[in-house]
Amino acid sequence: MQNSAPITIQTSGQNFLRRYIFSTDHKTVGLQYFFLSLTAVLVGMALSLLMRIHIVWPKAALPFLGAIKPENYLAYLTMHGTLMVFFVLSTAPQSGFGNYFLPLQLGTSEMAFPWLNMAAFWITLFSFLVLMAAFFVPGGASLAGWTQYPPLSAIAAAGPGQGRGTDLWLLSIGLFCLASVLGAVNFIMTTLKRRAPGMTLMRMPLPCWAWFVTAVLILLAFSVLLAAAIMLLLDRNAGTSFFVPSGLVVSGAAVDHHGGSPLLWQHLFWFFGHPEVYIAILPGMGMTSHLLSIFSRKPVFGYKAMVGATLGIGALGFSVWGHHMFVSGMSPYAGFAFSTLTTAIAVPSAVKTFNWLGTLWRGRIQFTVPLLFSIGFVSLFISGGLTGPMLAQPALDVYLHDTYFVVAHFHLIMAMAGMFAIFSATYFWFPKMFGRMMSQRLGALHFWITFLGAYAIFMPMHLLGIGGNPRRYSELTGVQYVAAMVPLHKFITVAAIVTIAGQFLFLVNFFWSMFKGAPAGDNPWQCTTLEWRLSSPPPRHGFGDAVPVVKHGPYEYGTPGFSNRAADDFLMQDATANP
Amino acid sequence: MTRVSEHVGIERKPKLGGGGPGKIPHHRSYGGGDDGDHGQPDDFLSAQDRLRRYRIGMVVTIIALSTFFAGLTVAYFLRLSVTHWDYDLRRSMRDWRPLALPYTRLFINTLMLLVSSISLELARRGLLAKSEFATMGIAPPRFKVELPWLGITVILGFAFLAGQIMVWNILRQQGIYFSSNTRSGFFYLLTGSHAVHLAGGLLALLWSLLAGSVRMRYESRQIAVTVTAWYWHFMGVLWVFIFALMHFSRG
Repeated sequence: MQNSAPITIQTSGQNFLRRYIFSTDHKTVGLQYFFLSLTAVLVGMALSLLMRIHIVWPKAALPFLGAIKPENYLAYLTMHGTLMVFFVLSTAPQSGFGNYFLPLQLGTSEMAFPWLNMAAFWITLFSFLVLMAAFFVPGGASLAGWTQYPPLSAIAAAGPGQGRGTDLWLLSIGLFCLASVLGAVNFIMTTLKRRAPGMTLMRMPLPCWAWFVTAVLILLAFSVLLAAAIMLLLDRNAGTSFFVPSGLVVSGAAVDHHGGSPLLWQHLFWFFGHPEVYIAILPGMGMTSHLLSIFSRKPVFGYKAMVGATLGIGALGFSVWGHHMFVSGMSPYAGFAFSTLTTAIAVPSAVKTFNWLGTLWRGRIQFTVPLLFSIGFVSLFISGGLTGPMLAQPALDVYLHDTYFVVAHFHLIMAMAGMFAIFSATYFWFPKMFGRMMSQRLGALHFWITFLGAYAIFMPMHLLGIGGNPRRYSELTGVQYVAAMVPLHKFITVAAIVTIAGQFLFLVNFFWSMFKGAPAGDNPWQCTTLEWRLSSPPPRHGFGDAVPVVKHGPYEYGTPGFSNRAADDFLMQDATANP
Repeated sequence: MTRVSEHVGIERKPKLGGGGPGKIPHHRSYGGGDDGDHGQPDDFLSAQDRLRRYRIGMVVTIIALSTFFAGLTVAYFLRLSVTHWDYDLRRSMRDWRPLALPYTRLFINTLMLLVSSISLELARRGLLAKSEFATMGIAPPRFKVELPWLGITVILGFAFLAGQIMVWNILRQQGIYFSSNTRSGFFYLLTGSHAVHLAGGLLALLWSLLAGSVRMRYESRQIAVTVTAWYWHFMGVLWVFIFALMHFSRG
């Protein structure tokens, strides 16, 4: 494209520490978040492997660990959920890719508050270390699940991990809330105040919209979780009774709390917890819309509807938390309201799905690895999403609650779809981040193993759930109807082992390509958005003095001849169109 | 006091030209939320633009803080309505005991906080008035207007915190601790959280007061004071809300 000479400004006078470790550069901070998530996902994946092995072979002695005890199983379960939800699904798409690419896509060279950004990362890292420390304190990590329902989480005598382990969990999550809110302020300010000239709101690429709406959700949701975590910490350590009911007997001893309400915690937690689901998935949705358009060489179908659906999901997400609590004892009127509102989320979700398919329809589809993962996202979003309205019916939920049906539902729609979005973003932006291409062949193999593996693991769990297999049980022996499901569990475990083994393809591809991959060039995917204006990897000061002036929307694909070069079928956002 | 902002002049950008995908907008439309810095680092931003950016950042922060305290308030009301069945007395019981608040002390504290808000507002306006010199490239006289008012605000802020500690001491002397009762727990939690947040604002004020005499650009100090003033007013409103909550919904 014309005027595309990348701007390079030499960074001088910055030592290694300021440049790579305590850096205020949004690109470095984004990569730091990305590698933090990579570490967390490896730990979380290892824990899930241990859990799957324990479920089907409870007596098996593992190297270094020996036989897994039931309380270990619960600790793994808690830490798996916490790591994956907070440090992977909330961190990688938003803080990782968002920090790196939000400013670049908006045509600016820095976040609004660079120092705040750096502080947010270091608080997040500290919070991760605090969480990991829970494995090494006496009693081990918390057993109460990532939802930490009291009174189990409020009483130290309730289990081995309920002492220091749970305190550390709450401290870690409190710090994570603080860091997330700081990061969200930065994202909102960057989107509102640092867009390049000509970059109107309705010309922002859809990932930017998603990051912006997600930041608003983080701002409102994590503040409430912080309040709840402080109250639970006080219940545990200052003797208050916000959440602990009267007359409670734990481990044979009466508890010296009175009058609290465990339901109060559930309300506060799920007021955070349900928006959290959208915090995890909205950036993935933005990514998917973006990539489907690029690799179909077509404009996004219904850009405005996509923006509206993103806003709609964000707004509705705050009014449905009660559907997690149907079995907690709720007024039928409240249950009806929550059920109706939950079902209403299907509308913006369906708008998005329809528009994704409309984007693909009659496109000149290029089956690159990022596109494969994006299509995988759509597939998993539909498969996992269809069980959502089912679980939103209180009558059905009473039966299916706390069974593997719920596990299947949220793993497909949140965990797997979220991971697929992270993978697609990684394969897509890797050339920009490291200047080299990832291997497409290995990537395609990785995709098929992960895609088939995801369905092989989580589809049978629907059947387990309908069969009445409860969640969180460490062993299935002893109860006859559950023991009958062990063969299906064995199948799932084998599928999980194969899928986890397949992830090493990704790791090998990632680190090998970082040093040995084919050089990528500035714009290998032929995209229109502004980050592809820069060299790969982008220079320290981004656009520097050559501020792009945006003239077009972000999805000008598929109309050859409107740029100066006849071969191009796309028009960069800041390029001048042929008259 | 003259309104200097008229002279400084906030340049208004043309309205957004609309657009959406694929539309070539009107020629004159500026679009973009960029506050005029065109991607340059902070040092080259005009003071007005930086001020605007930090102010909106403070508004966003205040939204987050409001959510935090709204969460605590909702918990307060929910907890207020919780009953449990007492098997001995065979009736529903509510675990919510009255709490005799030390009203005199609390009213003095409220007064101090509100007066500190006024003095900080005077300091903010004084700095704003002198920012005209800075925009003209004249080094403004250092501590002429803001030092007394900023100093008074800081002193009143510390006095408020000391007063809150006295309130907690009075309650403790009555044998009312954090864990005594849920109402006392909420009282300590709400006032404590408020005090922690106020201490943060106090640190920011101290920093702009001291750093101003060391090596801090005049505009930066004005921004720090302005943003802290907004935060401080929010803290004042929040305190009145907490006090009213504690007084009016005693259960």
